[in-house]
Formats: sequence, structure tokens, C-alpha cells
Amino acid sequence: MPAKVKNMLSGIVAKMAMRRQVNQLPGETSISDSINILIKYKINGLLVIDDGGKPVGVLSKTDIMGAYYAGLPIDLPLADIMSQPPLYCYPETFLEEALETMRDKAVYRLYVVDPQYQTVVGALAYPDIVGLLYRYCRDCEYSHHQQRNHRIKETMERIQVKAIMARGVKSVQVEDSLSQVMEQLSMYRFGAILVQGKDEAPVGVISKTDLVLAYKHGMDPGAPAAAIMSSPVQCCGGGELLEDAIRRMIFSDIHRLFVHGESSDSFVGVFSLSDAARSRSGSCHACISSRIRMDA
Amino acid sequence: MKITAKDIMSTQFHTLTSHMGVHQAVKLFKQASRAEGRKVFGMMVIDDSGGLAGILSMYDILLFMRPKHIHIWGMIDDIDIVGLVEQASEKTKSVLVGDIMTPDVITVTPDTHKLMILDIMIKKHVRRLPVVDNGKIQGIVYISDLFYDVLDRFMD
Repeated sequence: MPAKVKNMLSGIVAKMAMRRQVNQLPGETSISDSINILIKYKINGLLVIDDGGKPVGVLSKTDIMGAYYAGLPIDLPLADIMSQPPLYCYPETFLEEALETMRDKAVYRLYVVDPQYQTVVGALAYPDIVGLLYRYCRDCEYSHHQQRNHRIKETMERIQVKAIMARGVKSVQVEDSLSQVMEQLSMYRFGAILVQGKDEAPVGVISKTDLVLAYKHGMDPGAPAAAIMSSPVQCCGGGELLEDAIRRMIFSDIHRLFVHGESSDSFVGVFSLSDAARSRSGSCHACISSRIRMDA
Repeated sequence: MKITAKDIMSTQFHTLTSHMGVHQAVKLFKQASRAEGRKVFGMMVIDDSGGLAGILSMYDILLFMRPKHIHIWGMIDDIDIVGLVEQASEKTKSVLVGDIMTPDVITVTPDTHKLMILDIMIKKHVRRLPVVDNGKIQGIVYISDLFYDVLDRFMD
């Protein structure tokens, strides 16, 4: 195991964080029908299988956005646009190792395969890892949700959003076309981008989900950003505790918060569930000891 | 004796269109329940030419509303449920019936035998089957229609 420093995820394996419900579709399913599954189950990707039920690829919202950008008909079979091959790990793979694979291969999920029967038994994505992390953090006696141990809590150093967030915010203008928005998203490999109105004031956000829905609704990619952006912008302060920001994201099904600086009218960074998973920590450094107690 | 789908299907049914917003569909569920005098749990969705595009059930809508990480809420007791439901409802505003309906629907023809329908309902876990003839919707068989037809001998 490559972990040099002990952290909250040390020793935790994939099966503890994975989601056991794996959404899979045959390759001949249309892009249009596959969007219904992605939207309904609030997932960013699904497994594509062949006639024999064997996994052959992965279809993500990024692939669908690419099809929209390229002007492909929405009734094409998803086998035409899926990414290959699916990437795997085992139920006993350490999360540390899984995270490393996800980072190296620049993917957002791994499928978990039973080593004996070679069948897919789960899916492991960043939000699932964060969910597990939050559970530990929440139950920790040093958590600021717990009422005991006041004195320890006050002296303990806590991690704030600004330490973990990705610095700098890219944005598009309300009148920019959806095609331009898609170009920006794929250039920077973002899941969402800020939309600015006049005077550079942020007025909304466009995510890949919004674009997938625009494709589904038959919207012209030349339409302006304003037509599909969601507002208001979900945001938090840089000084907010990591634990609180994570809590908001996992309870409200949002993937990222825009972080404002000292003056509250401009954004200085973005904090996403992927950042949270990579940070491998809750709000303080007491995690390891609390986890050992919970596992015992 | 009632033998095939056309004998037991309901011909009084309400439909949705795929371009309709989900919030409007919710209203129509209520209206249809009142008009048909039964609880309507699912409705057929028609396309622009009047053909069957899919089915939207309460289950589809609830699935969409369900927070994704609800499994980690078990031990958490200080959640603002009202706020969360409001947030989830807000999200349905940009979503249309066509986005979350089940598009790939099993159908039967007016001449499908009722025991075949029984078999399909059990194997596929569905409670309603649209009856389609040459692309035209003729009716819908509900599991209750089938239930009372097959078991009416126990009714007296």
C-alpha cells in the first residue's frame, strides 16, 4: 500500500464505501433512454454490458455532453459513445489505492469486481467515499456536533474549506452559447462552471447535468447559457469547517460549492466532493483515533 | 367468459405527455385518481403522434426525489427535513416527464391471454400493462382488474 502518512482512510477497503446498486444498460440502449436512468438515480455514469451481461464500457455524463456538442442524434445506441474499458478494483482494494487509480486514470468511479466469480458487485465513486468519511467524522467525539469534550474542541485545530478547495474560478457569460460552455467544461475538465452576468456578478451555474437535460429536451446548442443555468449559486465561505461544507453537499445532492473570499461578492475557489475525497479528512486531525474506536 | 386483454382492460384512462413538467404530472395524478375513482399510481405517457412513449409511476418520481446519500442518515437526528424536501422539489422544476419516465415499456395486444398477462406481471414486477394494437393505445390492464377477474369465485 502506497500510503506514507497515516490518515483517516488508511486501512479502509472498497467494499466499505462502495454502492451495491450498480446501474447497467445494454449497449444498444439509446442515449436518450440512458439519460432517464442517470437523472432518476442521480448518478454520473453507468456500466454498459453486452448481450451476455459482460461489462464492455462506461457511459458518463461527459460522454453524453460530447455527443451533444458533436451534434449526434440522441437516439444513437450508447455503445457508440461509451468510454472503454471499464476500470475495476476489488472489494478488498484499499481506498488509498483506489483513489490513486482514479486520479491517475482521471476517472470518477471504479467498478468493484468479485475476484472469484468476476462479477460486478458494486461501484465506488468519490461521493461514496466522502459519505463514509462523513459518517466517521460525524460520530467522532471531537466532532463539533457532539456536545461533550468542550475543552478539547476549543483547542483543536480545524480544517477549513479554503485549505482544501481548488483555487481560482473559471466562468462564462450569460450570453455565451451552450457550445462555448461545453468547450470550457471539457478544456478544464470541470463538472460545472459559473455563469457571470453584467458587471461580472455571478448569476448561476451550469453543470454537465444541465447540459445532458438540454440535449434531452432538444435544445439548440447555440442557445445562451442563461437558458439552462441554475441559480442561485450554491456557495460557502472559505472559513467554513470542512465537515459542515461536506454535510451540506451530501444532504442536498450537490457536487460542489463555490467559495467566496473575505468580501462576499466574488468567488475565490471551488470545493467539490472529489476534493473532499482526495483530502481524506474531516474537520480535524483526530480522525484516526476515532476510527479505530468505531471499528473495534 | 373473459379471456383476453380486451375483456379485462380499462378503457377509461388518463395520459401524460413527455414535454410536461413533473410538477404538472403530480397534479394530474391527483385529478386522474379522482376522475377514475381509484388510486392512480402510474400513467401512460404519449408522444407527439399519440403513440406510447413510456410510463411514469409514483415510484419514478419518488426515486428522483430521494436524496442520493440517504443511507448515511441513519444515526443523524438533527436534519432539517422541511428544507431538504423543499430543495428536492425545487430540482423537479427543470425536469420533464420524459426525463424520468420508464421509456422501455412492456405492452400486450388486445388478444393477449389473461394468464399470459398474469405471468408477465409476476415475472417483470409490473402492476399495469398498456394494451397496444398497431401502435395505438387501446387500454390498460391493472393488476386489480386481473386479480378480481381471476379470483371472483371467492367474492360471494
